[in-house]
Amino acid sequence: MDRQRRAGFLFVLPAVIFFSFVFLVPLAQSVVGSFYRTVPGGSSQFVGLRLYQRVLTDSIFWTSVRNTVHLLLMSVPTTVILALAVALGLNRVMTLRWRNVWAAMYFLPFSASLVAAALIWQWIYDPVYGFLNYLLSMVGIPPQKWLQSLTQVRPSLAMVNVWVRIGFDTMIFLAALQSIPGEYFEAADMDGANAFHRLRYIILPLLNPQILMVCILELIFNFKIFDQVYATTQGGPASASQTVIMLLYDTAFKFFRLGDASVMAVFVFVTLLVVTLVQWRLFRKPVEY
Amino acid sequence: MCVACGALTVFFPFFWMAITSLKTAPEIQRVPLQIFPDSWSHWENYRDVFTKQPFWRYLFNSALIASTAAVSSLVVSSLAGYGFAKFRFPGRDVFFFGIIGILMVPFQSVVVPLYMWVNRLGLLDTYPGIVAPDLVSVFGIFLMRQAIEVIPNDYIDAARIDGCSEPQIFFRVILPSVKPAMATLLIIKFMWNWNELFWPLIVVNSPQMRVVTMGLISFTNMYFIEYNLLTAAAVISVLPILIIFLALQKWVVQAVVMSGLKG
Repeated sequence: MDRQRRAGFLFVLPAVIFFSFVFLVPLAQSVVGSFYRTVPGGSSQFVGLRLYQRVLTDSIFWTSVRNTVHLLLMSVPTTVILALAVALGLNRVMTLRWRNVWAAMYFLPFSASLVAAALIWQWIYDPVYGFLNYLLSMVGIPPQKWLQSLTQVRPSLAMVNVWVRIGFDTMIFLAALQSIPGEYFEAADMDGANAFHRLRYIILPLLNPQILMVCILELIFNFKIFDQVYATTQGGPASASQTVIMLLYDTAFKFFRLGDASVMAVFVFVTLLVVTLVQWRLFRKPVEY
Repeated sequence: MCVACGALTVFFPFFWMAITSLKTAPEIQRVPLQIFPDSWSHWENYRDVFTKQPFWRYLFNSALIASTAAVSSLVVSSLAGYGFAKFRFPGRDVFFFGIIGILMVPFQSVVVPLYMWVNRLGLLDTYPGIVAPDLVSVFGIFLMRQAIEVIPNDYIDAARIDGCSEPQIFFRVILPSVKPAMATLLIIKFMWNWNELFWPLIVVNSPQMRVVTMGLISFTNMYFIEYNLLTAAAVISVLPILIIFLALQKWVVQAVVMSGLKG
């Protein structure tokens, strides 16, 4: 018995050591680092909450928070609703072969890097030579500036996120839909339920856990948006697409204000933790088959 | 019907990428826009990608880093998965939920101290430095634990009675029964790391250490972006993953659904 205990411990040891050094220790250091100011020359000085005061009263910081929230308020509901619709549609495609073909097409963007995705879209959005303005010109709408416009840059980036993520969410919904026992629908049919009734009283309640989970995952994904912005607008024009992680990156690795960056790191960690916990608390309903 | 139209719309950017990569610079600047290239035999862009940038090197770097990360997390995850699934020892649940809890820590929250560590160890701009944070994956541990848990305990006990040592059981009984999970983990981890940008951007300084995502961005550092080149480079960078994905679609989808369920 003792031999087995030791063996079990040794099996998990490499993983435990790795995660301690790569996540736990740095997380603690981020928290500690947010209370210290690094003075030129390398020594650091305890300053209490002064860095928090500085970052949390900085208008650029709040601009980036606002931009990020605005972006995710556009992309998260769009992605989730579209993915649900696509999953319901795919579920009704009777031939397995075609269902797999269409599903694969929705899922393809997920396999491209965010950088490639954003750059392809930047080309489609191009104000002069882009395909999107070409489409608009055919129905008589004047060319738009998309990523170069103060008001359109965030919706345009949100669109890229929807494109990248829709397949992932669809797969999760489709897997859940296919695990709903067929008798439920048969019973509903006998009671004279129409398509809306089926959606409202069977599908949505049973998919509740998946919908909640997908919402949380999308929220986290969109809140951490970086690659797409870095590859295309770099936060511009005029900070209209400056996001929280972009600002964190610039603060730490462009301006080397590591203390300020640590405050942002703690902010990101706490925000995502709180959002996740609140969503679990508020919306978690048990599902029984 | 709607499903098919939607699928084609979602597919369109890929189509546009491939079409653009076959056009010449004057062709992509034509107004009004012309959908198809004048000739289908213009493959110069694919040559120029490699002459204007050390793109082979970028591909090599990404392949090296992604496969190292995939293999390393496979090894560590299957060890840990076995430990968590089939052994009882003090602190097991604390460790397991501790590791699962790491999913709640965004990588961006630990990146500054990690950078300082890598700097102190002299690993900036080196392969070990780039790959370090990706050597183990929480998802991998979760996946392997789930897969190993369903192996009947009788098999393990029988092997033990036959006098197998713990490592022997691991290699001869456990690993052969979880091959699909192992393949899935390899594929998905490779895909994730091939597509990664954030961490390489931080630790890489010199052009020859760039990974492929950084290579793509380096095509945009010009006044006029040569989208015909950029899309050719994008095709080259996306294609390996796309092929793996299409060939092993069933497994990848399963893994992705599972990685979604990990939370």
